[in-house]
Amino acid sequence: MQVSSKEKFWLTAPITFFLLVMLGFPLLLDLIYSVSEVTFENLLSPRLQGFENYLKTLQDPTYWDALAFSLKFGLTASLVQLILALFLAIYLEPLLARHPWLMAVLMAPMMVAPALIGLMYRLILHEFVGVIPYYLWEWVGDSPAFLGTENAFLTLVTIEILQWTPFALLIIYTAYRAIPTHLREAARMDGANSAQLLLLVELPNMMPVILLTFFIRFIDSFRVFDNIYVLVGSGAGGTSTSLSIYIYKAFFRGGNIGQAVAASVLLFLAALLLIALLERFSRRMETT
Amino acid sequence: MSMFLRWLVFGLAALLFNFPLISTLLTSLKSEGEIVSNPSILIQSPTFANYVKIFEMADRFDILHFLWNSLVISALGAFFALLLAFPAAYVIVRTGFGRNWLLPFVLNLRALPLIIFAIPLYMMFQAVGLLDTLFGLALIMCIINLPLTLALLSSTLRNIPEELDDAARVDGASTLSIILRIILPLSVAAIASSSVLGFVYAWNEFLFGLMLTTKSATPITVGASFFFSASGGGVKWGVASAVIILSLLPPLVVGLLFYRSIGRSLTGGAVKG
Repeated sequence: MQVSSKEKFWLTAPITFFLLVMLGFPLLLDLIYSVSEVTFENLLSPRLQGFENYLKTLQDPTYWDALAFSLKFGLTASLVQLILALFLAIYLEPLLARHPWLMAVLMAPMMVAPALIGLMYRLILHEFVGVIPYYLWEWVGDSPAFLGTENAFLTLVTIEILQWTPFALLIIYTAYRAIPTHLREAARMDGANSAQLLLLVELPNMMPVILLTFFIRFIDSFRVFDNIYVLVGSGAGGTSTSLSIYIYKAFFRGGNIGQAVAASVLLFLAALLLIALLERFSRRMETT
Repeated sequence: MSMFLRWLVFGLAALLFNFPLISTLLTSLKSEGEIVSNPSILIQSPTFANYVKIFEMADRFDILHFLWNSLVISALGAFFALLLAFPAAYVIVRTGFGRNWLLPFVLNLRALPLIIFAIPLYMMFQAVGLLDTLFGLALIMCIINLPLTLALLSSTLRNIPEELDDAARVDGASTLSIILRIILPLSVAAIASSSVLGFVYAWNEFLFGLMLTTKSATPITVGASFFFSASGGGVKWGVASAVIILSLLPPLVVGLLFYRSIGRSLTGGAVKG
């Protein structure tokens, strides 16, 4: 006897119902509000008005700035994290293999809330009580405005990289350790040197994981909110407004519900596109 | 020699990654006066005064209240996700039902910025009175935890031989009792990893905590930021640092205790180690 279809239904009904209520219905609301004229007063009876919210959003230069910021932030952060993680995973492998607890030391920042990390840097970068400006004055005799318009991007992306490289490192290190030993032995037997072994055997073997790590890190950095919000609030003159912050600001500060919701739907479409690409890519990975 | 270089690189990486934690910990052990006069990493006269002062501020910012909120939200969030994902994982693995829609849908949620749903969720929560409630936030944490929980559970259940189910069925066991008596005890490890990760994720969440709470359900990530607001004569950096250290300890301790299982778990079993 198998699981009956009635049982199949009842065992999957809770999660399905939950997803419909908590994500399906909100998405529907997003779609309706995005084509309506809506304020906090007429939330329950939004007036349909066509695509005006989308037009307003797309004509808003700060929307494009936020999109550009998020893309640049996501790409820079994920690429640097990936390169650092690859180097550390491969270079430190003999050490980490002998003393596995060292990995726990490197992993610690992953367990800390990005919002708290952001708060810590508010202290560390503070011009009077911060430890970094203190030593810069001591040693160099000058300290930049880390969160000023000019340096905000570099500061924020560095903070993101330092917190999340451990995540990439952990995944890549696990994959590196999982390369079958017979592959390495066969390559050695054929006279491959270390560089050839790395480029022709190890890296190709890890490629699916490397790309997966890149995607995860890109997505997470692209939607950055917490650390930027606590560090610079709504941004040093808009230069550090990510898409997430843009949506939050439009809704809570501007009361601009229509535009905030239109931006949400656009973000949803972009995310769908990315997911479709990911699916296609992972299917190709499976077949090859 | 080459090992020495590796130790050096490790030390440098560990220092860089953990610098904010170390520096904040050191600041929390300095008196307010010393923080201003001596921002360096050396402490002249270590003190626990800041940790005591946190609790003297309880009438303005009650840290125990924030910590309790986070504890409840995170524990419930991890538990709800398990409760919803476990039966679904069983059906998906054993019958294939939902393999082509439910499983990919939930797994892809990992790639969806949840801020997309934040505004309508805010309105819905307002309409049904869930704004600023622990239960409301726990529901959000459940959404956040579902992808990883379902991925971990289904990859674990796949490795439990189906013969065990069949044997129990021959003995007349119902599907529900098979799930509870056979599958559940065999997936304790996956349940533990997803609880740990779910707890850590939920504890560290900030955006929804910020949007959906005002006072009574404020989680610690949001509550900690109150200590950095300059109202009432500037930020007390020593107290603020001590608050940060207390706020990050629970997920850090739990996460590091289980650090071995986290590597495998993060990708939902996609990378075998």
